[in-house]
Amino acid sequence: MQSSQKNYMNPYLAGFLLGMVLLASFMISGRGLGASGAARNVAVSAVISAMPEYAEQSTFYGRFLNGENPMASWLVLLGIGMILGAFLSGALSNRLRLKTDHGPRISTRVRLLFATAGGLLFGLGAQFGRGCTSGSALSGMAVLSTGGMLTMMAIFGTGYLIAYFFRKLWT
Amino acid sequence: MAPLIPHGIINPELTLFFALIVGIGFGYVLEQAGFSSAKKLAGVFYGYDFVVLRVFFTAGITAMTGLLFFNYLGWVDMTMVFINPTFLYSAITGGVIMGFGFIMGGYCPGTSIVAAVTGKIDAMLFIIGMFAGIFLFGHFYDLFEPLYNSHFLGNIFVYDSLGMSRSWFALILVITALLAFAITQLIEDKINKTSPEKIRTRPSYVLPAMLLIVSMIVFLFLPAERKSRPGERAPDVLLAEIHDEKTYVSTHRVIHEIKNGHNNLVLIDVRDKAEYDRFTLPGAVSIRPDAIPDRQWRPLFKKDQRDKVFFGNGNSKAVMAYLAASRAGYERIYLMDGGLNAMFGELFADEHIPDTTAYDLQNRSTARFLNSARQFFLEGGVAAKQEEEKPRIQAPEESEVIPVIGGC
Repeated sequence: MQSSQKNYMNPYLAGFLLGMVLLASFMISGRGLGASGAARNVAVSAVISAMPEYAEQSTFYGRFLNGENPMASWLVLLGIGMILGAFLSGALSNRLRLKTDHGPRISTRVRLLFATAGGLLFGLGAQFGRGCTSGSALSGMAVLSTGGMLTMMAIFGTGYLIAYFFRKLWT
Repeated sequence: MAPLIPHGIINPELTLFFALIVGIGFGYVLEQAGFSSAKKLAGVFYGYDFVVLRVFFTAGITAMTGLLFFNYLGWVDMTMVFINPTFLYSAITGGVIMGFGFIMGGYCPGTSIVAAVTGKIDAMLFIIGMFAGIFLFGHFYDLFEPLYNSHFLGNIFVYDSLGMSRSWFALILVITALLAFAITQLIEDKINKTSPEKIRTRPSYVLPAMLLIVSMIVFLFLPAERKSRPGERAPDVLLAEIHDEKTYVSTHRVIHEIKNGHNNLVLIDVRDKAEYDRFTLPGAVSIRPDAIPDRQWRPLFKKDQRDKVFFGNGNSKAVMAYLAASRAGYERIYLMDGGLNAMFGELFADEHIPDTTAYDLQNRSTARFLNSARQFFLEGGVAAKQEEEKPRIQAPEESEVIPVIGGC
């Protein structure tokens, strides 16, 4: 049934539309897009409700104990919207199916292992970077923030520097 | 005037609703672009698929160009837009760690959400890993904190850091992006051994690229940045207003209003707060000239249908306040001619009261008016009125400006 999948959108058109969504986000709320922020807020509220004492003693989680519900935030609703939007798009283009993407030279197990490790690093790095590829790099580039551009260059620069050593994963 | 929510144009209670709408657009476009496939995403590092670079760079320059022009036109207040703060070493460290995460995991947080929704099992594990990373950061936060918060350089802009103008930097960024698009296309074709027919039938991007470059060059040569917003009055109109006697309200009219306890004027004391606290006219509200355009006073100027009268000790500060209010598009605004000095001069200095014995109706009525006013002011009428009327206009509560926090 692979053939019934619709083609992906022209990348420049997709980029233009993504830029418009980003611009709309700035014009409506004054801030850009983000994805890791939603994950962080979900993680924080999970810790706060599951381990309140641990959260109270922690400098990191303590910052969120200001009476505001981290789940009822711009970032989390943005994340929920992403889920809906991606599902809608996947359904309309007939791309909803369970599978694992991996390079020809590795097994699914290796791929899943590296995916988890990569997720861990991204979760950690996005805290230092004060945002991920969308919140720091893309939104930061749109407002021409030095920090955002630095993070962007560090992400892609590191990627290119180390790509050779991980080539077996993808090619 | 955007941003709409921080400016109160869209009800802040709808914030979450709009977050959902923007999120739907975000997720939809990412999925349509093909960002739900780790293989496609990782292609940017190996040259077989540069879709990430194309979508990412196009989105970045689209939003940047939009913000530049909207800012120039005065449609967006960039002081209310979140500029990612620069913590030098933390930004670089985070980027390096994320670079490793990208190569190993094949996703970034946004794309992993999109991919997991469409059924990619590797993306679901990536998300689980991401939570582990966040918990790790939270647990060892005290250890990371010195690096995390070190070298804070402020919410600085990259063109300032490089010492060039914003419009030049924007032009260079756009040209860099266009060159990157062209070069990576060549690399991609070479690596994938794309057939010549396929290359020939590809759409041409020369026109949009030219349009973009031309618009950036236009931006470079635009005259000095326009600071006025839609609805603001032009400087020459303001100048004419200041010379127009209709702009002025006489001290007599103000005295008359106060004496008779009318409530037709909003008196605005533009002197320093200390002077205001020592003495002011009954019912006057204190607003310094530089605070006139503040959001908190908007309801007073926009919704209150009474005439607003600025007064200071003389005319100069009141003129400043008048200009600020007029430029902000406020109407029914006036100046008390001569300020408090003129008012008290008339009330308390003898020579200003015309001779009542002279047979001149005009003078006689003026004199009668001033004498009674003087009596009223000297015999505690004002103090009594001040007691009862002080709360006529309360300074509004510091209106909450929604702080724009935390990027991604």
